[in-house]
Amino acid sequence: MKLFRRGRVLQATFGCNPNSSSLGVDVTFLLFGAVFASAMAVLLGSLLRRDRR
Amino acid sequence: MKVARVRAERFGGIVELQRPRALLHVDREMMRELGEPESPLWDLPEEGPLSAPTEVHVVLSRRCAAGCKGCYVDATPQGAALPFEDACRILDELAAMGVFHVALGGGEALELDYLFAVAAHARSKGITPNLTTSGLGVDEAAARKCAVFGQINVSVDGVGPAYEKARGFDGFRHAERALRLLRAVKPEVGVNCVVSRSSFDQVPEVARLVRNLRLNELELLRFKPVGRGARLDEELTQEQARELFPMARRLVFRHRIRVKLDCSFAPMVFWHKPSRTAAAFFGVQGCVGGDVLAAVQPEGAFTGCSFTAQAAADARVEGSMKTAWPGAFREFRDYVAAAPEPCASCDYLRLCRGGCRAVSAAHGAFAAPDPGCPRVQEYRAGEMMAAAQPRLRVPRKLHVL
Repeated sequence: MKLFRRGRVLQATFGCNPNSSSLGVDVTFLLFGAVFASAMAVLLGSLLRRDRR
Repeated sequence: MKVARVRAERFGGIVELQRPRALLHVDREMMRELGEPESPLWDLPEEGPLSAPTEVHVVLSRRCAAGCKGCYVDATPQGAALPFEDACRILDELAAMGVFHVALGGGEALELDYLFAVAAHARSKGITPNLTTSGLGVDEAAARKCAVFGQINVSVDGVGPAYEKARGFDGFRHAERALRLLRAVKPEVGVNCVVSRSSFDQVPEVARLVRNLRLNELELLRFKPVGRGARLDEELTQEQARELFPMARRLVFRHRIRVKLDCSFAPMVFWHKPSRTAAAFFGVQGCVGGDVLAAVQPEGAFTGCSFTAQAAADARVEGSMKTAWPGAFREFRDYVAAAPEPCASCDYLRLCRGGCRAVSAAHGAFAAPDPGCPRVQEYRAGEMMAAAQPRLRVPRKLHVL
């Protein structure tokens, strides 16, 4: 039996970078930690499926 | 949530959201769920360089009247500029490659009378143009035209007299006025602050300015000893390098502002051992030159980042960037696989990627660990201690005993 695996959001970067060097660290988001990142991945995945083009 | 564009990658794809403005990396399964067609890239191993950069810094000119003492492009009032036709053709090619964002800069890009036409051309091709400016020459009319940009950051390395001390000319009033005018037009306006040895203590004042003007971000950029900056002794001290991330955290809590650090600051962040899961998810990375990021210089050179000079192609030649991209920039991309100590044994190597290649190159070795990294400094201090310590020899008498 083939199990259905749902797609995942692997990474999220917010905003645009106007700089000569790349956007390296968004301190604000990094402060929230791993649990927040996991929750964001699930939430963004759900929203993406809901609002698919 | 509104999807603007989707680009297939080896691992799955990159989804550009228009609202909220974001780039999401998703796996292959999610791409299928989104109804995207199967990509030949999905037959390749998931690890590997991106099919194209996500953002490209287009250095429109080396022309600027300000004459900042640490200017990394060595801009002068008569400096070279990328002609309008070349800029538009390069944007066409970047759009065809699937690039999402361009950062337009210089020099002072606002000194070019075709800047807004270039930005409008980028928009027409589906690329979001962003701008960094000193704010010199921004009046109400120019500010209104700046609505075409996604994010605009004004360079402010200090408040009041500290600005002149950091940059070598008295431009704070102009910068502050530009910020007010731009903020009246759009909310995506922020401040770029180059953090150097002498401006480090002024950063909290800049953060206060960001809060007071209701700007959307403070981006702290590491001073790099390139261009005119190579003549200055302004790299952070060891203590400042260790204190940078705690200071950035304090500014977030104290002023309730968004604080970002550029990619070259990654070693200073990872030394504090933040969550690797959170860092990976929010795209916290060290040098992404020649992979996530690339640059086009005013003379046409297509480089891994705007702080390095080694060109992979002449961007003015049609098709050259697309042709060069898959095999280019090995010196950037191969760092992790061939990292020397102490990077090789660092838990954060895959995220940090050895810090800033441009800084390493400025210190003499492109492929060496970033000399500003606290871990590298500790490692080298340990090596020096070991070398300096006299070897312990067991006296003969003890052998007898």
